[in-house]
Amino acid sequence: MIYGLGGALNLAYGQMAVMSAMVVLFAMDAGVPALPAVGLGLLTGALLGLVLDLTIFRPVYRRQGEARVLLSLLLTLGLAFVVDGFLTWRIPFRGLTLNIGGGPIDILGVPMRRGSLLASAITILAFALLFAFFRTTALGRAVRSVIEDEQGARLVGVDPRRMLRLILIMSGFLAAIVAVTRAMVTPVTVTLGFEITVFALIVTVVGGLGSFPGALLAGVILGIVNSIAASYIGTFLSLIILLAAAGITILLRPSGLLGVRE
Amino acid sequence: MPTLELRDVGKSYGGLPAVDGVSIGADDGEILAIVGPNGAGKSTLLKLIVGLEPATKGTIVFDGEDLTNYPPHRIRQRGIALVQQTPRAFPSMNVLENVALAALFGRANAHRDEEKALARAGEALEFVGLADRRFDHVGNLNLHQQRFLALARAVAGDPRVLLLDEVMAGLNDAELATSISIVRAIRDLRHITVIWVEHVMKAVMSLAERVVVLNFGKVLTQGLPQDVMRDPAVVEAYLGETSQSA
Repeated sequence: MIYGLGGALNLAYGQMAVMSAMVVLFAMDAGVPALPAVGLGLLTGALLGLVLDLTIFRPVYRRQGEARVLLSLLLTLGLAFVVDGFLTWRIPFRGLTLNIGGGPIDILGVPMRRGSLLASAITILAFALLFAFFRTTALGRAVRSVIEDEQGARLVGVDPRRMLRLILIMSGFLAAIVAVTRAMVTPVTVTLGFEITVFALIVTVVGGLGSFPGALLAGVILGIVNSIAASYIGTFLSLIILLAAAGITILLRPSGLLGVRE
Repeated sequence: MPTLELRDVGKSYGGLPAVDGVSIGADDGEILAIVGPNGAGKSTLLKLIVGLEPATKGTIVFDGEDLTNYPPHRIRQRGIALVQQTPRAFPSMNVLENVALAALFGRANAHRDEEKALARAGEALEFVGLADRRFDHVGNLNLHQQRFLALARAVAGDPRVLLLDEVMAGLNDAELATSISIVRAIRDLRHITVIWVEHVMKAVMSLAERVVVLNFGKVLTQGLPQDVMRDPAVVEAYLGETSQSA
């Protein structure tokens, strides 16, 4: 979410997800039941967003335009490497898996894993709540005003720093949801951070910066492309095919699928 | 004591002064026009007042409180609103949502009551004559209507001082007459002090109660519109050319 907001990039997004997953893992190791452990993981994601806002994003938001993009890119990329390196050094072989019990469920004659279905349901619910927040609440409209015109937002009395802080906290919370839902399908290992970041970045750019319906549409389309490529061609080529699909989309529609043309 | 007072306010870019030691004040309920040639520092002065640009010297006092270099959202909430020459509506929101946002956030100690904000926004739209367009997409408004929308956004927060930056540029005679009557109503009915940067001298002469002339970032003279217009130095340096073009 932070990609489209205030012209800043968070390349440590995947690491936020992995750190949240590790908190869930260690909580469960310590005997905490799965549901409270997941709650702790979500709280961790939100807190990480707040910590980012209070630390490396402070100098970022003091700058405007290109300087803001570049500084956010450099600082968060550096942070991502540090977090990745630390986790790989200290707990190289750990991964979070959330086993959802029970056999597959038939959907239109296709057997679906319960974990996949639950993950999809949580994702759709999260998106619906997010969409409702941005569309129907005054606070959501205030955030949108900052996304669309930061100076204009200031002139109607909206404090952009507060809105940017809120969005980083929400972004961290969503990163934790990404980790938890992914762990229902496949293990979230300590080295997964950059893969999550790259996929999120591709989805955002293809969907259109700042467009939530665009991000959803791009996520679904690219997810299908990724799955087909992984199943029929090979996992080793799926990222290349994904990038090629994203590249073609951007060539045809530079503002993204549902982005606003400048 | 003036409601808004600028004391020796200055702004330099790379050592070059855009505004150079300006000291002016606007009284409660006054309509004060600021005129001068392009590059005189008029728009920069308004940006300094609302905090969009930091002043490099001087103080800006509003109701006895020093607001110099406060962030723009806090200045807006204190009661100073700006309408810029190029209207900047939020494109994903309809007309009413645009104004409601200002009604909700553009007030001091706002209680964030959305119902009341919507009511105030509706009333502000009624005031500027856009009530029947409230659910329209802002992209469907023409420039004239977008300026009225900007005015509605400004007055919806119940400001004490309204700053207008060349809001009458490019209007035809009918649009100009409507704009003049709305600005006059803003002062008369809402008791808002208006500080108004303008090039259209016909509008200035019919609406302003006092005129400040800026040149090269400094105050050249100030006074009643008819007196300023008769000042030979002003006529020769600034108003002669503008009067002909207006």
